[in-house]
Amino acid sequence: MRLEPTSWPILAAGVAATLAIPLITQDGYIIQLLNIAILNAIVVLGLNFVTGWAGQINFGQAAFYGLGAYTTAIATKSGLPWITTPFLSAVVVVAASLALGLPTMRLRTYYLAMTTIGFGEIIRLIIVHWEPVTGGTSGLRAIPGISVFGIGPQGQTQHYYLLVVALALAMLVAARIRHSALGRAMIATKDSEIAAEQSGVDTTRTKLIAFMIGAVYAGLAGCLYASSIRFISPDSFSGTQAILLMTMLIVGGMGSIAGCIAGAVALTILPEALRFLGQWYLVLYGLGVIAVIVLAPGGLASLASQFPLRRAGAR
Amino acid sequence: MTAGTIITARGVTRRFGGLVALDGIDLDVPAGIVQAVIGPNGSGKTTLLNALSGASHADAGSIRIGGHEIFRLKPHRIARLGLARTFQNIRIFDNLSVLENVKVAAACNRPASFFDILTSSARQKQSEADIDADAQDALQTIGLGHRADDRATQLPYAQRRLLEIARALASKPNVLLLDEPAAGMNMTESMTLLDTIAKLKDRGITILLVEHNVRLVMGVSDRVTVLDFGKKIAEGTPSDVQRNPLVIEAYLGRRHRHA
Repeated sequence: MRLEPTSWPILAAGVAATLAIPLITQDGYIIQLLNIAILNAIVVLGLNFVTGWAGQINFGQAAFYGLGAYTTAIATKSGLPWITTPFLSAVVVVAASLALGLPTMRLRTYYLAMTTIGFGEIIRLIIVHWEPVTGGTSGLRAIPGISVFGIGPQGQTQHYYLLVVALALAMLVAARIRHSALGRAMIATKDSEIAAEQSGVDTTRTKLIAFMIGAVYAGLAGCLYASSIRFISPDSFSGTQAILLMTMLIVGGMGSIAGCIAGAVALTILPEALRFLGQWYLVLYGLGVIAVIVLAPGGLASLASQFPLRRAGAR
Repeated sequence: MTAGTIITARGVTRRFGGLVALDGIDLDVPAGIVQAVIGPNGSGKTTLLNALSGASHADAGSIRIGGHEIFRLKPHRIARLGLARTFQNIRIFDNLSVLENVKVAAACNRPASFFDILTSSARQKQSEADIDADAQDALQTIGLGHRADDRATQLPYAQRRLLEIARALASKPNVLLLDEPAAGMNMTESMTLLDTIAKLKDRGITILLVEHNVRLVMGVSDRVTVLDFGKKIAEGTPSDVQRNPLVIEAYLGRRHRHA
């Protein structure tokens, strides 16, 4: 079963390695990069509900990420306590996802892709041109950090651990949904909309719910991004970022929770690791992505499931 | 024949451009029987099934299932009213296990709250246990219990057809529409299928069967409806229909000469 190719020993080793990284390296740059990788992983997990499971193309995910980040930055900079920002971000992205999702969830493939690209561009243009509030192209700086009743993480390592916990929660929620009637309905909708309908699944509603859950993941990741990186600009939430998020999902492995993490971490770190190549890095990066797609169409997650210790069966 | 009638269709019409695929079909199916719909290629059998299940709506007419008017209802609403179906071109969920395929339908009429899913509440666990039990039961009935944990794509062709029946069964339907369930099956598999259909009938499920294999139809059906060019040309017991000159001309006659 491709959902969880991990067996318990692999999972335990992964957790141990994740927790040990800050003990091995004190390099603030590396930790910061990992923090961004984790945030991207949460956004890609959200995209996986919509695209990986429910099978709907969505290039608006970066815009939801940005909406969460800007909502948080604007709220905290105007003096609201940090604790309100996850809720505010969630409310804003739910409203936006309903506004986009209600009229578009009947659309398919190219049409849905075009609509979500348009949505992302509208959000980006609002951010760029509403300068008094959003800071325009130069973005917003000195965003207040995470703080709950005066207690908050200090330094990048503490932020790292906080984000690891957030990612673990995001994975847990995703796994619970996957193994519920809702998760099965999403995958059924992707595989055959008509067969799902005739089995009693309201496919329009299922797609809309997947879309909203995906938006909330992106919105909450955006909230954490703004208050842990503490600087945001429109570039981080552009159409290029939307395509990158989709690439992370495909390279990692559509429909696989572990694949989402692998894809996000690999494609966040790789450009930095290849930086010494100068302008050639994009060539190698592109070749790497193509190689994964050609050699492992199921993504990095499908490579992991080739190992003999893969769990057999679905449960 | 209104009391005890589970499907009542009146004047069901479906046009594709200039082609009239269904031309004012009336259909009454008594509860608890196996009724076959036969007819030559292009006679409108699958179109009728699609109209009944909501997969492709009729343009005009009235369709009542168990007293509910379902004309132009969305397919999931019709499914929740107790009508399940299989497909001529197999449509299983490739990315789910065999058991999960069936669970999708077993969750029909079992709404789950999002909060319960997130908290994995006792109610949620109970609901999942019930879904699991129903799905396992449907797989056992159809003889696929031993393949529950396999990927659906690992099943051979005939078993995929059975999986579709198991999935349809798991929603606990009153009416089951089978669209050429024996297509692509060998003789042994078809015989097993007949036993299964009889077993489902014994459970009180009304079965509407679209089939090309006339011999299979005659053995298992209580009543037969014959369509030709979108019109109902005959209806009755299998032996009545076999003797009907219109039917012999349209369909059975040609078959008999070949056989």
